[in-house]
This record gives sequence, C-alpha cells and structure tokens, in this order.
Amino acid sequence: MDKITRLNTDHRADLVAYLDGELPDGQARAIDQILAGNQVARHEVEALARTWELLDALPVFKASKEFDTRTMTALKLGDVKYEMTSHPWFRYIKRGTNMVVWMLVLGISGYLGFRLTSTWIPNPQEQILQDLDLLQTFDSYQEIQTVDFLIRLKQIGLFDSPPQKD
Amino acid sequence: MPTKTPSEQSAEQSGFLRDPEVQLMLRAKEGDDEAFGQLVNVYQDRLANIFRHLVAGQEAAEDLAQEVFLRIYRARNGYQPNARFSTWLFRIANNLASNARRSKGRRKEVNLVGTASGPMGVRPQEQLAIAKSGLMPTRQLDQRELQVVVQNAIEQLSDRQRMAVLLNKYEEMSYEDIGQAMEMSPSAVKSLLSRARENLRQILEPYMQLGRDSK
Repeated sequence: MDKITRLNTDHRADLVAYLDGELPDGQARAIDQILAGNQVARHEVEALARTWELLDALPVFKASKEFDTRTMTALKLGDVKYEMTSHPWFRYIKRGTNMVVWMLVLGISGYLGFRLTSTWIPNPQEQILQDLDLLQTFDSYQEIQTVDFLIRLKQIGLFDSPPQKD
Repeated sequence: MPTKTPSEQSAEQSGFLRDPEVQLMLRAKEGDDEAFGQLVNVYQDRLANIFRHLVAGQEAAEDLAQEVFLRIYRARNGYQPNARFSTWLFRIANNLASNARRSKGRRKEVNLVGTASGPMGVRPQEQLAIAKSGLMPTRQLDQRELQVVVQNAIEQLSDRQRMAVLLNKYEEMSYEDIGQAMEMSPSAVKSLLSRARENLRQILEPYMQLGRDSK
C-alpha cells in the first residue's frame, strides 16, 4: 500500500497559491507529490478550484454611460479650484481674513454687550455725575432751606448782575 | 528592505515605461487631457465593478471611482513611473475603499436565513437550504439564485479578504501586484487569499454541484 502523504498546515495554506501558479517550483513540486498520493488533498484542491469557478456567477457591474463625460468635467472643475487654493498666498490671505473677521466679530460683540448691560444695569456713579452741580452747592442749599426764600431774594434783585461802570 | 541603486531604479523605471498606460499617464502629465480620458475609459468599468462589490449602491461606487481618477489627475504633475499604472490606481482605490468603510462602518453581514429582499429584488434565501443550518440545498438553483448565494458569500468575507479576492479574480493580479496595491508583502497576500478562499469554499461547498448543474 502506498504511503499516504498528509497535508500539514503549511501545505494547506499553499493550496490556493498552488492553484494560482504563485508557488516557487520547489514548493509546487512538493504539492504535486502530496496530491499524487492523497485523495483528500485532491478533493480539497478540486473544491477550491470549483469555488473559484463559482465566482464567475457574480454580477459584473459597469459604470453608467455618462460616467466618463461627468468625470472629465469634474476633473477640470476640481483642477481649477485646486490650483487656486494650492498657492501659498491664498493660504495667507485666508488666514489673515479669518483673523480680521474674528477680531471684528469680537469687537462688535463686546461693544454690543457693553451697551446692553449699561442700559439694563444702572451705574450708581453715573447718577452722582449727573447731580454733581447740585452736590457741589448742596451746603449752600441747606443754609437757604426753602425755595420760597430763594424766589424772594431774586425778587429784591440780589442775583442781578452789577451795573457796568463806563 | 534593501534600497535599490540609482541604476537599478532607472532600469526598473524603464521597464515600467513599456506599460502603455504609463505612456498615457506621462502624456497626461504633459497636459494631454485626451490621454487621461483614454485611461478613464479603460478603467471606469473595472473600478465601478470592484467598488460595487465593496460598497452598497451604484452611485456610491461611481463616486469612489470618480475620486480615484480625481486623485490621479491632481497628482499628474509629479507622476513618476515607479510601478505599473494599474498597481498605482488600485492602491488609491484600496485606500479610498478603506476610508469609505471606516466612515460608514462595517457592512452588515448578510444572514442567509429569512432576510428581506435585497437590491436584486428576489427572496431566494427563504427557499434555499442554508449552509449554516447544515441542511443541503434541496433543489437546483437557477443562475439568479446562485448569483445571490455567491454574492452573499463574498459579503461574509472581511473587507481586506474581499478586496484581495476581487483583485485576484477580476484583475487577475499577481500576489506581488496585489501586495503593492494593498501595501502588504506577497506572503501576507498568500495567507489572506488562502483564508478567504477557504472561507468561500466552506460557504459554497453545498452549492457547488448545483452551480455546475445550473450552467
């Protein structure tokens, strides 16, 4: 009885490469010898080959009829955009524009925020500034005490300007 | 990885110069848009097919294909023939497919049992004996049903396995070229394809006899 040559793990891994003709001569001859003496190995190789044939049943897809026209148009358009954006000066301008825009946005936001908060939140110091004239003469007003007295002083001419000497 | 001498690099480049698609790309580099249009015509269906099997929907597949051409077109001024044109193109395609998968998340793995109609508008899954349940198919499949079964099997592969299988099957790329496109070594491609096709074999073995009969 002929000795049965068994497939080891390496041989099993080589079967597909053997079918594809990708094994070096020495390894291919080794597989040939195994197949000659091992029916199980021959069955495996045959099964692998038939599996490969079954892939012929896969649908073969094609590109649509307009694909080439559409692609060439897209390439030309893409090329125009790409050329402009690939220049270094374009990048500097873009970066500079971004910085200016952000500075403007921050400045305007800050100003608007300041105006809004100053309208909603009263500033106690501003009230004092508005009343500054009054506060500076407040002591005098306390001595006078009433407005009626001030009116009588005006009526007697106390606040009139002195006549100018020639 | 040993670096190549300038003369080795130049010899390799001159080898790639014999690639007619490299010649077209070099003409595109000089401003010949018609040459680039020829490259689009050569690869549009192939890319659409690969992407269609990777992402859901014809529109998404064509968007990705268009993005591949856009990237190649933008890179034309700095193009150097360091590889076959197809290898470079499919490397870009692989990267875009990876990005698309990352942004959309993994595709839901299709369960052959009791699912709603898919994009192909049939419900063979409800009629088929399911491999996962261990039952053998009880009747012959017609071509359309077989197509759905095979498509579902492909969808059960991991994204990398699927890409490697598609490049191997449809583009008949060597392991070395697949490795360059997917940024893997040829031995890693060999392992990847071995696992992928073993997975497919396990899923499709019950249908193999039926597939043969339905041809």
